[in-house]
Amino acid sequence: MKINDLEQLESEDITTLPSTERRTFLKMGLAVTGMYLSGTVLSLTTAGRVNAANVVPESGEYPYNPHYSMVMREHLCIDCERCKEACTKTNHVPSHGFRTTILEKRRSLGGDAYETIFVPVLCNHCNRPPCVRVCPTTATWKDEKTGIVVMEPSRCIGCKTCMAACPYNARYFKEETRAVDKCNFCLDTRLSKGETTTACAEACPADVRVFGNLADPDSRVFQLLHSPGTTVWVLRPETGAMPNVFYINS
Amino acid sequence: MWGNYKMKKILLMLLFATFLFGGAILAATGGDQAKDDEYDEDEYGPADPIIWVKPVKSVVFEHKIHTMEAGLDCDSCHDDLFEMEAGVAEENDDFTMESLYDGGYCGSCHDGDTAFASDTRCTACHIGVRGHTRLVGEEEMPSH
Repeated sequence: MKINDLEQLESEDITTLPSTERRTFLKMGLAVTGMYLSGTVLSLTTAGRVNAANVVPESGEYPYNPHYSMVMREHLCIDCERCKEACTKTNHVPSHGFRTTILEKRRSLGGDAYETIFVPVLCNHCNRPPCVRVCPTTATWKDEKTGIVVMEPSRCIGCKTCMAACPYNARYFKEETRAVDKCNFCLDTRLSKGETTTACAEACPADVRVFGNLADPDSRVFQLLHSPGTTVWVLRPETGAMPNVFYINS
Repeated sequence: MWGNYKMKKILLMLLFATFLFGGAILAATGGDQAKDDEYDEDEYGPADPIIWVKPVKSVVFEHKIHTMEAGLDCDSCHDDLFEMEAGVAEENDDFTMESLYDGGYCGSCHDGDTAFASDTRCTACHIGVRGHTRLVGEEEMPSH
């Protein structure tokens, strides 16, 4: 098109737009802004379920029964790693991966003094598991009865999206099976065979790991989490995954 | 002219003396510092930490903290609570936390009165597999 022809064309700027068209456009803009604004205003009000203090679900609000969970009495952990050994042996975990491990923190006590804190970690069997949500082949899911996040290795295509989605680094790719592997609270190796606890909890000499049914008010996990004056915390609560591994110091 | 030379000589000697004296002081203080840093194994026990791996991996004991810093004598612990020879205690069946709570081994002092109680501050002595690896090296790790 020549420059002379272009000059002959009608302008496409807003001066030629009919006013109704402009108004509808403006309305749409306001509507979108309003939507976002109202969302921001709503988020200022208290949302009961996202309260950091309530990492333990209210009694009677456990989605499963048995609702398996683990309580870590953190200050008692001495990193002897018998839990790791027991887990490796029971669940045939290769040396390049782990289903459970111990993390180490150092806390200043002022001056040159430091305190070491060992943090046992494993799959948190979240009530809203990000790993389950992202799996394209439904190779991982929440067990309907127990709430345990289980894996079906034969369905896994090894895309590792679940590994990226997990906020707890609780999954690893098992070369031997060409599938992602993770803690399942020893469901296949122990619980389904009548055992009442996991291999790691049984192996712990310091009674750090307490495993049990949170839906049962008589269980030790329930008692520990509901005793007065106890501070209960979970790892990375901000992810909203609602983990089922709880940490206490009493 | 001659007086000037004499003055120069005196000044020079003074300077020399200052150097000598200063050097002596520095050497003396330096020597003192070296003495502080020097840990006498004959007086305070082995400098290297004692590491127990039984019944759990691993527990560390520093002679320095207990003798040089806390002022204990050798016979505070040897040979009643612990044999001098390293590794003897951990071969005993009763080398457990239970014994410590009953006043045995470390529990003799770590009872909550003399020193912090054995059932508190676990990681003050228990360094774990990680701490063990840091002190001893990777080859000691169990293969799994």
